[in-house]
Order: sequence, then C-alpha cells, then structure tokens
Amino acid sequence: MLKSLIAASISGALLFTSIQAKADWQDTLQEAKGQTVYFNAWGGADNVNEYIRWSAKRIKEQYGVTLKQVKLTDTADAVNRVLAEKAAGKNDNGSIDLIWLNGENFRAMKDNQLLYGPFSTQLPNYKKYVNEHARQSITHDFGTPVDGMESPWGMAQVIFMYDTATLKTPPKSMPELLAYAQQHPGRITYPAPPQFLGATFLKQALYELTTDKSALSKPVDSVDFQAVTAPLWAYLDKLNKVAWRHGETFPSDSTQMIRLLDDQEIDVALSFDISSASVAIQQGNLPDTVRSYVFTNGTIGNTHFLAIPYNSSAKAGAEVVANFMLSPEAQIQKQIPTVWGDLSVLSYDRLAAADQKKFDAIPRGIATLSIAELGKTLPEPHTSWVKALEKEWLKRYAQ
Amino acid sequence: MPLKSVRFITWLVALFLAIPVLVGLVGTLLPAFHYFPPLGEYHFSLTSWEQLFQNNEFYTSLKLTLITGIIAPIIALWIALSLLAWGYQRAFFEKIEKLLAPILAIPHAAIAIGLLFLLSPSGWLMRLFSPWLTGFDRPPNWITVQDPYGVSLIFALVMKEMPYLLFIMLASLHAIDARKSLEVCQTLGYKRLTIWRKVLIPQLYPIIRMPIFIVIAFSLTVVDLAIVIGPNTPSTLAVTLFHWFNDPALSTRFIASAGAIALVIIIALVMLGWELAHCLFTRLTKAERSNGKRAGLTDYFLRLGVVLGLITLSSAFISLIILPIWSLTRRWRFPDVLPSSWTLSNIERAYPVLLELSSNTLIIALVATLIACLMSALMLETKRLTKQTKNHPFDWLIYVPILLPQIGFLFGLHVLLIQINLNGTLTAIIALHLMYVLPYVYLSLKGPYLAYQEDYLMQANRLNNRPWFNYFFIKLAMLKPALLTAFAIGFSVSIAQYLPTLIAGEGRYGTLTTEAVAQAASGDRKQVGSMALLQAFFPVFVFWLAHALPPRWTKWRLAIYLRVKKCYKQIPTNS
Repeated sequence: MLKSLIAASISGALLFTSIQAKADWQDTLQEAKGQTVYFNAWGGADNVNEYIRWSAKRIKEQYGVTLKQVKLTDTADAVNRVLAEKAAGKNDNGSIDLIWLNGENFRAMKDNQLLYGPFSTQLPNYKKYVNEHARQSITHDFGTPVDGMESPWGMAQVIFMYDTATLKTPPKSMPELLAYAQQHPGRITYPAPPQFLGATFLKQALYELTTDKSALSKPVDSVDFQAVTAPLWAYLDKLNKVAWRHGETFPSDSTQMIRLLDDQEIDVALSFDISSASVAIQQGNLPDTVRSYVFTNGTIGNTHFLAIPYNSSAKAGAEVVANFMLSPEAQIQKQIPTVWGDLSVLSYDRLAAADQKKFDAIPRGIATLSIAELGKTLPEPHTSWVKALEKEWLKRYAQ
Repeated sequence: MPLKSVRFITWLVALFLAIPVLVGLVGTLLPAFHYFPPLGEYHFSLTSWEQLFQNNEFYTSLKLTLITGIIAPIIALWIALSLLAWGYQRAFFEKIEKLLAPILAIPHAAIAIGLLFLLSPSGWLMRLFSPWLTGFDRPPNWITVQDPYGVSLIFALVMKEMPYLLFIMLASLHAIDARKSLEVCQTLGYKRLTIWRKVLIPQLYPIIRMPIFIVIAFSLTVVDLAIVIGPNTPSTLAVTLFHWFNDPALSTRFIASAGAIALVIIIALVMLGWELAHCLFTRLTKAERSNGKRAGLTDYFLRLGVVLGLITLSSAFISLIILPIWSLTRRWRFPDVLPSSWTLSNIERAYPVLLELSSNTLIIALVATLIACLMSALMLETKRLTKQTKNHPFDWLIYVPILLPQIGFLFGLHVLLIQINLNGTLTAIIALHLMYVLPYVYLSLKGPYLAYQEDYLMQANRLNNRPWFNYFFIKLAMLKPALLTAFAIGFSVSIAQYLPTLIAGEGRYGTLTTEAVAQAASGDRKQVGSMALLQAFFPVFVFWLAHALPPRWTKWRLAIYLRVKKCYKQIPTNS
C-alpha cells in the first residue's frame, strides 16, 4: 500500500516536471527571482569556493537569485541527506537545491529517483553552446546515461606533476612508473582507494595493462572480473613493494600528494585538476620548477555536473544557476588558471567570435598543459567498475 | 534547589534524555535488520549481519579499534595520575595546569595535524636534525605517523585525553580533601608518591570513573582524529563505518548500521571488562597497599608516568606552536628549520567568512552550554533529593549519546528532525549540541555537586529563609570553580562538534569547526594552521576565564560594588 502510494507520488511528480520543463524560459526566470539556492558542493579547494562566491555575485546581479554554497567534505553526504528527507516523507521543501556531482553519486541518485528532471537539455545555454558529440562523457557520466538529469559544468583530466630540478625524464606509462619505483624505492605512490583519485589511478593502470579494454565499458557483472584485472593486481603487487612507506600506507588525496612532492618525499604526484600545479606554485605550496605532464597513451578524463534534487524548494532558481554556469562568461572565468583552471564544457566552434577571442586570451599558468598537450582522453570505465576495483583493492592491500 | 514534585521532574528529564536516544537507536537498529522503507526494504532479515561477519575489513579494523581504544585510555589515566601525584601543590605544577586549558580547548583534528607535522618523516623534528645530524637531504621513507599498528593514533589520543582526565581530577580533589590526607600521611612518614598510590588514588577513582568511561568511548569511536593520524589500511572501525555510511551505494547503509550496533555492544563489553579488571587490580594490590611500608618499588611506575607525561605535554605544546607558524608561512621546504618566506595572506583570505562563522559558533556554544549547565544542576538536585545514589536513571541515560557512534545515531535522528520540520535550523543544531554537551557538563559537575556540604545552605536558610536566592547565591556561588570548569568543558565540546552541526544544520550554518575540518581534509597546512588558530581562541579564552574568575570573583565584585557606590555618592554632590 505504502509502496504504491510512493510510486504514485513519484510518477505524479515526474508528470508535473515534464510539463514544467516545456514552460517558457522567461517563466522560469520570473519564478526564480528572489529564490535562495542552496548549492551543495565539495568545499575542499579554496579557489573553487572563491569561484562559487564570484558566481553568486554575478547571479544575484543578473537574475536576483541568491546562491549559497553548502561546503561538503564528501558529496555522498548530500546524497544521504536527500535520501533521509525522502525517508521522512519530505517530498518538497528539501534542504538541497543544487548538487555538484558525477559518477557514482549521480548513479545512486538517478537510480533511487532522487533527482528532478530532465532539465539540462532545455537550458538555453546548453542548447546554444554544448555539443553533445564532442565528448562521450557529456552524455554518459561514467557510463550512466545522463538523460538530461544533470547539467555539465566542467571537465577534468588526470595529470601528473614532477619537479624538473630533481627529475629529468618523468615516467610516462604504467610500466615506466614501476621501473622508476624499482630504481628509486619509496618515491612513488598513489592515493588510497576508495578516494576517487585513488580509484582513478586504478582505472588508469587497468586501462593500460589489461588485454581486454572493451570489457571496461560494460557492466562489471557481465565480464570475467578476475581475468580482466589480473594484470593490474600483478602490477600493484610489484609496485606496492617499492612504493612510498612500502605500500603500508597511502596518501589520502591530491593535496596530500602535492605536499609530499613539495617535501620531496615522493617524485611524482597526480591530480584530477589540470591547473593544480600552477595553483600550488602560486600559493607557495610547490617550487616553481614543478611541471605537469600526461602519459604518452593518454589519461582518464571525465565531466562533472550540476543536478537538482527531486524535492528542491527552488528548482527554478537552480535551473537559472545551472544555465548561468554554462554561459561563456562563467566558463571563461572558470578556465582562468589563477581562478580555477577547470576546462570548459562549451563547444569552441559554437561560440561567438568575441568569446572565442576571450578563451584564446586566457593565460595559462607556468605548469599548466594546453588542450593540445593534454592529448588523448581515456574514457571512464562503466560506473560499476569503481566499486568492484575498490573492493578488490581493499581486500588485497588494506586488510 | 527548593524543588517540589521531584519524581515528576525526574521522569520529565529522563524522557527528554531518552526520546532522541531512542529515535536515534531505532533509526540505526531497523536498517541493521534490513528494514528501511526509503530503499524499499520492508522485511526484517539478518543478511546485513551475515555480510558484516563475513567482511574481513570489519575484523581487521575492529582489532585496530580495540588495540588503540583500550591502550590509549590506560596510558592516559596512568600519565594523568602520575603527573597529579608528582606535581600536586608544587609551584611549577601550576604552570603545567595552565597548559591544560589550551590543549583541552583546541579541536582534536587541529592538534592531530600539528602532531602529524611534528612527527612525520618530513616533520619539524626531522627538520631540526637534518641534514647536519641525520645526513638526510630528503625525508627518509619511514612510517612514523599513520602507522598500521596505531602507535601514532594512540599517542594523539593520549595527548587529547590525558589533559582532560587531569583537568577533571584537579576539579575533583576538593571532594576528597587531598591536602589533609597528604599532611596526615606525611607526618606518618609516607613518601609522596606512595601516599597517592595507597591512599588518594583509590579514593579518587570512584569520582572520576565516568570521565574515564567517556575517554574509553571516545577512543573507541573517534572519527576525525583517526582519519587524520590513524592508519588507513585499514582504518579503525569507527572510520570504516563512517565510510560505509557515506558510501554512494545506498545499500551499504545496512551493513553500516549493523556495524554501528556492533560497535555499541563492543563499547559496553570493553567497559565491563575495564571494571572487572579494576576490581581484580584492587583485590590484588590490597595487601601491598596496607602492608605499612612507607615507600615501594612500584613508586617508580608513577615516576616513569611523569616522564612520559612531560614528553606528551611538551609535544602537544610544540604541535600547538607549529600551527600559528604555518598560518604565517608562504614557503617552508624540507629541511629548512623555519619558513623561508612569510605572509599574512593566508589569514586575510579567511577573514571575510570569519565574522559569520564566529557568531554562529558562539551562539550555538553559549546557548547549548548554558542550557546544559542549568539542566545539570536541576538533574543533580533531583538526584540528590531522591537520595537514590545508585542506579539513578540519569546516571546511565546520560551515557547513551556519547556511547553511540555519532554517525549511526545521528542519521536516525535526522529523520526525526525532518519530520518535526526542524532540520537545517539553529534550534536543531543547539539541540543536538546539547545532547553531546550535557553529558560532559553533568559528569564534570556531578562529583563536586554531590560532595557539597549541604550544611552551608541549611545554615543560610536558617538565617534568611529565601531558598531560591540562597541556592543561587550560596550553593552555586560556592560551587563556582566546578561550575565554571563544567561550563568551559561543555563550551569546548560544543565548539569541537562537527557531525552534529553538519547533520542538524544541513550545512546551512557553518561554524569555525565545520570550516576547519573542511580545510583539514584538504590537508593544506597553512589553511589548517590559520583556521585552528581562530577556532582555538574562543575555548581558550573561556578556559582562561574558568581558571581566572573564581579566585578574583569576590575582589572584582567588591571593586565594582565600591565603584558603583562611589558613583552613587558623587551624583548628589555634583548636581
């Protein structure tokens, strides 16, 4: 009885939203005026928080919408909060209006009907500037179809950092990395999964080492996990032995790796933020001899998104924010390395000439790679791989 | 307190304590048995327990939790008792006493990061001796922190818990009249440490039993400290549960809830074991304590504790010094002993948000602690009046919030907050803070409050029959040191709360702590240094007040009184 009631209310809500999605954008703008949008976003990086503050100011000026960042240490907290609200039957007036997410968190929310939408494909700036065919990750978030339930915000790619003063030729593939570690014990490491950068390192290694790359785009249940991943574990068995702290402990995230690189405890750090080396140099957290690089055969890249919970109390305001974030103004500001350095999701060809010029004029930090230098982007494996890889890694190396 | 209908008040307060606890428990228990309607689970089953007991990570992290969670309180207690026995009533000990307040007040995550930076292979300790002594141009590949054995975690726990125990002991000493015992025993020719060991510590222990249990529960359940300085391959059980609860795959919540219930049972078992061990220990040492010898070899045990205590205190102190240094650093590379360039921009960058954060923090902490103090006085008074000293409902009810792992308990409560439409409000944050502040205030106040000589109050009432007035201005005024101590502890507990603030406030109300922990997770030592510095200021100030006020109270009160009187006299002459 209760179940069917919930089901009925959900389908009712969906019907309502699809009607609303067709409504005129002007109505949305009108409705949004005066709303406060609580934006739940990971708050661990100062420059990102600063960028959100800048956006809030612009949005207030242009649309009369108040944007407030709720800083998360882990995006899963927000997913849990929406779930708790659903548990309590709070189907409107929820506490979260907008979430910054991708991958597993998106899938968890989408699968549990915790999202409002589809909305993103109807946003004026999306229709105008986003080319869905430019990158697979715009329509498939870690293999999960986006279906308009989240709006692209930026793109990230794995980069590596090293100090040119101590290291002449950095290792540019997984086998080279192992060879380097064996020559220099204790100077190579990676973040501990399940931290997302750690999981990404596993995916990167798996992509390079496995003989069956096509298996990675399928759900993990449908392939022979042990056979596909055997080369990865053989590799890590060797790497961990000669890793930093003999593989008995691992750094927790990219920031700690940058600190370890600065302390000269390790020789190579990695990050999912292409400008992190430049930002760290500017803040005095790395020497100015540090440079970024990518592996010869490419590195893993993905897109991150903005989504609106099904019970948000300011859906119109949230759509206005998502639309603003897709404007050339916001995307140009975001890509400035001293601001954030996050890659634009807009299609360069669709921009007006003046905006193209502004993109061309963005200064790059001394340690940031150009789009051309970033080279080939490897796709994220299907989202189910993350859990399976983490679980196996924890079982093998952390118990 | 001239209370009427004591029974009614007792039940009312007990209900107030029990309801949130019950709701939180039910909210954890039901998912542990696979009942969770939001995920479409309507049937009870034991599958989450089966999964838990088949999970290797559970056993390895449980082992680590037991090792760190039992050894740390033992060492903390040993060191605290040793320091007290060695230093009590000595002039230089007062300096150490003054150090306790800042150490107690600093949020443990910040201290842990200071310690991390002191002890890590690229830490200050190594920088001081490199490369001239060690020959290291680059940090060695040693495991000194986050070691898989939990040694550094134990050290950090002791550093946090020992000052707390010492603080409580110093506040409780009035109740056992330590000075008189010392004088009497000294005239009988007993050595100082022997008197403590044979006479005073056995008297002191029953009074501080509850704080000890709090310390044990803290060691077994702490999350933030263990994340910063504890091992991560695997982590302690509390951290593992924290990861499970936050797992994006929502079905992990079942096994997490089962784990939380298991952790509660484990805490109960550890405490039971602790009490049994204490009984056994008392029985075994009874003969030695009453053999009449004026000194003993076991005194050296206390002496060793003193040495360890001084090492712990000085490393805590150095960890605190590092934080402000980092907050002013621009570049500081290994093996430089001090930063190569300095800057004020770290603090400037944090400035815009500080005003809002500070006012939120202060409002929450002051209101919650004030309510906690009043409630504690009410509870203790009803407890005193019922004359039921053993097994009073408050004495075990008060434990439950701090015994339950925050993460499992608070999720169940959050559902309640949403249902009564209090989620994301300041009221909800204060209420949840009160839940954690109240036990600390109650337990710190309990010993001194119940040990109060009621004769003073009775005499006052005979002289001037104003029961409420006399209660506040005779009894509570005489209990000032204990009350202020309890307030300071409650205040710092409130300041340090992270999960309750976040869950009740849904992140809408940032405090200095939520901000500092958000920064701590990112690991930038400059930012953490800046935040910790500011976060520490308020509790340190309150602790200073708690220490400074009682001896000066009367003097200042009289001074103000005289000045007012003088002004009053001057007005007619001027006009």
